Amino acid sequence: MIEIVDVWKSFGDNQVLKGISMRIETGTTFVVLGGSGSGKTVLMKHVIGLLKPDRGRVVVDGVEISSLRGRELTEARRSFGMVFQAGALFDSMTVHDNVAFPLKEKQRQLSRDEIRAQVVEKLRVVDLGEEILGRYPAELSGGMKKRVALARALVSNPSVVLYDEPTTGLDPITTDYVDDMIVHAKERLGVTSMVISHDIASSFKVADKLAVLYDGHIAAQGTPEEVRASKHPFVQKFLALWFEKQSSE
Amino acid sequence: MPRVKRLRAAIEDFGEMIFFAGEMLAWAFRPPFRPELVLTQMAAIGVGSTFIVATTGVFAGMVLSLQFEYAMSQLGAQGYVGGSVAVALTRELAPVFTALMIIGRSGSAITTELGTMRVTEQIDAMETMAVSPVQYLVVPRVIASVAMFPVLTMVFNALGFAGAYVMGIYVSRIPAGPFIAHTRELVVVGDILHGLGKSLVFGAAVAVITCWRGYSARGGSRGVGEGTTRAVVMSSITILVVDYAFTLISVAKP
Repeated sequence: MIEIVDVWKSFGDNQVLKGISMRIETGTTFVVLGGSGSGKTVLMKHVIGLLKPDRGRVVVDGVEISSLRGRELTEARRSFGMVFQAGALFDSMTVHDNVAFPLKEKQRQLSRDEIRAQVVEKLRVVDLGEEILGRYPAELSGGMKKRVALARALVSNPSVVLYDEPTTGLDPITTDYVDDMIVHAKERLGVTSMVISHDIASSFKVADKLAVLYDGHIAAQGTPEEVRASKHPFVQKFLALWFEKQSSE
Repeated sequence: MPRVKRLRAAIEDFGEMIFFAGEMLAWAFRPPFRPELVLTQMAAIGVGSTFIVATTGVFAGMVLSLQFEYAMSQLGAQGYVGGSVAVALTRELAPVFTALMIIGRSGSAITTELGTMRVTEQIDAMETMAVSPVQYLVVPRVIASVAMFPVLTMVFNALGFAGAYVMGIYVSRIPAGPFIAHTRELVVVGDILHGLGKSLVFGAAVAVITCWRGYSARGGSRGVGEGTTRAVVMSSITILVVDYAFTLISVAKP
């Protein structure tokens, strides 16, 4: 379970988060929706301890991430996987070494063959074959990079997975595919997921619960139906365009 | 007012770099150790710089030999050319030139690589995988630099003296006997150690500065470019200042 309690964060004079609270139950998928610059990524970076809140706290499975430092924080991160917006694959390593990286570092006793077997298995889950193992990230398409990043986040079987805009910049088919992956990871591996996105279609497809972030506040929070029924002007405007398009089809 | 702000930012940045160096030291002695990464960096920073350091060494030795010959022939002391070149090389020129060459070739590459990793979130990604980027990326580069700077300085010494020998004997027609004999007289082991001691310190300083400029890069490719420029300027100036301080202390008579 991830608990975010009254988190405030500013950079210089820019107040980005203004008292955010939310609760993500174990084994569910929680989507944070919001426009560009609404502080979504900043919020996610607090969950994994890349940023520290000015005020408030973040608790993941009983461990207060926001108060940990150094080695303890490194230890606490072992149960996380994170998919970055642009993939953040290590460009000096091959696909194999990228996906193997968390395994090699977290489970040092594994042999080379065991690691390779797990890498191949995880790549197969995201529909990628063995022929790309030796390629470098620069030789992959955008969609492939995203899938390799997904495989890398899931390879060490984390209990919490964070997705930073997983479908941004993908074609509709790959988007649908990534959505399925998120649902699949939840159902088959029982992971707790936090997804940040501005892709409304994807969000409503994968979310058990949603929150809409606006100007550092939560404008609406709850099940997809509850958020859809929200009277908040920003939420209505944000969702209206998409739902209009849906109903005209 | 903006000037005060800039000064404050510079002091803050320096302080952060010192903390960064401390963090690096702490991680350097903690398992897991990664010898394979250290070897990779030794190859990149050290072996990869051999050509440029060797070339600079040969030319520096040749030019020095010709210049010393020009000056000393006026005193009738050509026999001392070899020894003078050797003292200048071992104590000053080899460690400083070697450091400046490595900064240009490998230091800039370190900043660019780490800076790109920073702005494309690869460093954040590494942190989320429970791996300390300082331990994985910075420690091997610092160890490799500290190990390879003295080695390359010795390469510079050897080839620089070889260049001086060729010029002195075959171009300036100095008899080989006195050339070698006076070199043995003038150069003591302490001179070589003095130069190598400097190069150790230079290696550590250059690695910490160039790693920090990359590690703290912000704002896309422009930020990486700025960081690289600053890394080269800052480490070059640091080398010159440290060299001066080192020399001043070593020649000061109590």
